[in-house]
Amino acid sequence: MDALEGLLYGFSLALTLKNLGFVFAGVLLGTLVGVLPGIGPAAAISLLLPSTFHADPISSMIMLCGLYYGTMYGGSTTSILANIPGEAASIVTCFDGYQMARQGRAGPALGIAAFGSFIAGTIAVVGLMLLAPTLASVALKFGSPEYFSLMVMSMTLVTYLSHGSILKALMTAALGLILSTIGLDPVTSTLRFTYDSLVLRDGIGIVPVVMGLFGVSEVLLNVGATMNREILQSKIKNLFPSRKDWKDSSMPIARGSLLGFILGVIPGLGTIIPTFLSYGLEKRLSKHPKKFGTGTIEGVAAPESCNNAAATANFVPMLSLGIPANPIMAILLGALTIYGLQPGPLLITEHSDLFWGVIASMYVANVMLLILNLPLIPLWVQILRVPYTILYPLILLFCLIGSYSLNNNVGDVIIMCIFGVVGFLMRKFQYEPAPLVLALVLGPMMEDNLRQALLISGGSFATFITRPLSAAFLLVAVASLLLPLLKIRLAARYREQE
Amino acid sequence: MVKADRWIGFLFALFSLYVCVESVRLGLGTYQQPGAGFVPFCAGVTLGILSLALIFLAFVLDAKKAEAWHNPDRILMVFLAILGFTLLLEWLGFILSALLLIWFLLKVVERRGWSFSVGVALLVAGASYVVFDVWLRAQLPAGILGS
Repeated sequence: MDALEGLLYGFSLALTLKNLGFVFAGVLLGTLVGVLPGIGPAAAISLLLPSTFHADPISSMIMLCGLYYGTMYGGSTTSILANIPGEAASIVTCFDGYQMARQGRAGPALGIAAFGSFIAGTIAVVGLMLLAPTLASVALKFGSPEYFSLMVMSMTLVTYLSHGSILKALMTAALGLILSTIGLDPVTSTLRFTYDSLVLRDGIGIVPVVMGLFGVSEVLLNVGATMNREILQSKIKNLFPSRKDWKDSSMPIARGSLLGFILGVIPGLGTIIPTFLSYGLEKRLSKHPKKFGTGTIEGVAAPESCNNAAATANFVPMLSLGIPANPIMAILLGALTIYGLQPGPLLITEHSDLFWGVIASMYVANVMLLILNLPLIPLWVQILRVPYTILYPLILLFCLIGSYSLNNNVGDVIIMCIFGVVGFLMRKFQYEPAPLVLALVLGPMMEDNLRQALLISGGSFATFITRPLSAAFLLVAVASLLLPLLKIRLAARYREQE
Repeated sequence: MVKADRWIGFLFALFSLYVCVESVRLGLGTYQQPGAGFVPFCAGVTLGILSLALIFLAFVLDAKKAEAWHNPDRILMVFLAILGFTLLLEWLGFILSALLLIWFLLKVVERRGWSFSVGVALLVAGASYVVFDVWLRAQLPAGILGS
């Protein structure tokens, strides 16, 4: 099936009344989640996941993808109006978006964020549509060593690009790897670290862990802090950017979209890092870099386009290789498995209806979000005014219901509570939860491929470096581990010379 | 690097030691045929080495104090509330547990008025039951109300 044929087939699925309803529900909920600080897309998707078990896989995936998309759009609203990022990828939007709003230019800031997101989202969907099937056909030639090395590379990249200490990020990745081995060993059927607990027999579920690490811990952190939410009271006008705004923003949107897509394809980068890089790039290229941070429209257009492009590009490794680029993709990957589909290079050919249906729904979601978002901004502003003291009990209750209804088991809720505290402590002591989640997801696949590769090679580790692709992946992994050390040495030498 | 990393590193090192011992008990196998304990052992060793490096760096580098804990009593109460909900869920049932949870968070943690906290708790418990149990068919436990 070629791209055009596939896309038309996808539209025939996505444009049915039922699936349009699912897209609408997804993007609306997503925007709401994006607007509300304290509940991110990971927790929201986990929460909604059990309710999709009754629907067919295509409709379910369409809704969950729409939700993810919606959060990227909605996140900018709080960044611009309240200086609080609705979700992490919108942190950068606060820098100039809020300043624009303070200068009475909230309308153009919100407008360019929405249009930029729409343009970037559409460009990225085209990229996804063309790249994913190609990558999947290449991946069919991958053996166990390549898969193992690719996953090692993803994990080291996540640790390299984490905000804090790389050592701590590596530690949390190792912890995630240990946690991923809990349960039944797939080869020998030996029970590992289960302590006669039925809940642990099938391993630690990704959804309760993500809800705990990202949902409950966020609430605990916010309850401990005093949240000052100052929402701008002025009337929002001129949502359509002026000709000058467009002139200033067109190149940043184009560059943001391209950068976001390229970086989003690399497993492990997610959406947060690309937005920071995009902002930095615009500042460097700008004729007036000092204006950045004071309310310049380029500072909103570039990161907002970038995060939407990256969000779409994150689907490339997930749909073509079965490798999640971030915790959200890990949950979607888990969802595919729950729906009885096997993620990996064969997904696109064996379940072309799902692939093309999701792709087409992304186009639909982009248009829907653009139409929905701008007129609904006053509504989102009203929702933003709901005090956090009322919001967080709801968020907690939703997390509790979500984790329970996965398997109708209290054990999952207990796991979520434990990881809620773990996540809270991790953030307090500056340990990043993302490498842990990625290791927990990739762990079983890594173990499987490592053992298979060793079995086939007769126990020779050379198989990982004698195969060119595998060696290249490992080289990147080693480089990403050595680069920080090199940086420290260079900095020390520079200081000595000074 | 924070000062607490010294004892965090120590705890991680102890944990990794435990994982390694358990992994050996599970069986490491051979390189040709790795056993059930092979991967956890490798991960345990890695975590152990990294923990020792963390302890070393926390002593050598100029470690700062971790940021202060604000409102620890509130955090503890919220955690106890969700733990209580979890333990009572199957016995009390979803509606009563949700009602208690929301009431506790609003009345005890947030110090809202009686009528407000009871009203919101009733509304939220009822609405979430309708949405999740009736509409989305999440099969939440009925508990004592069911019997």
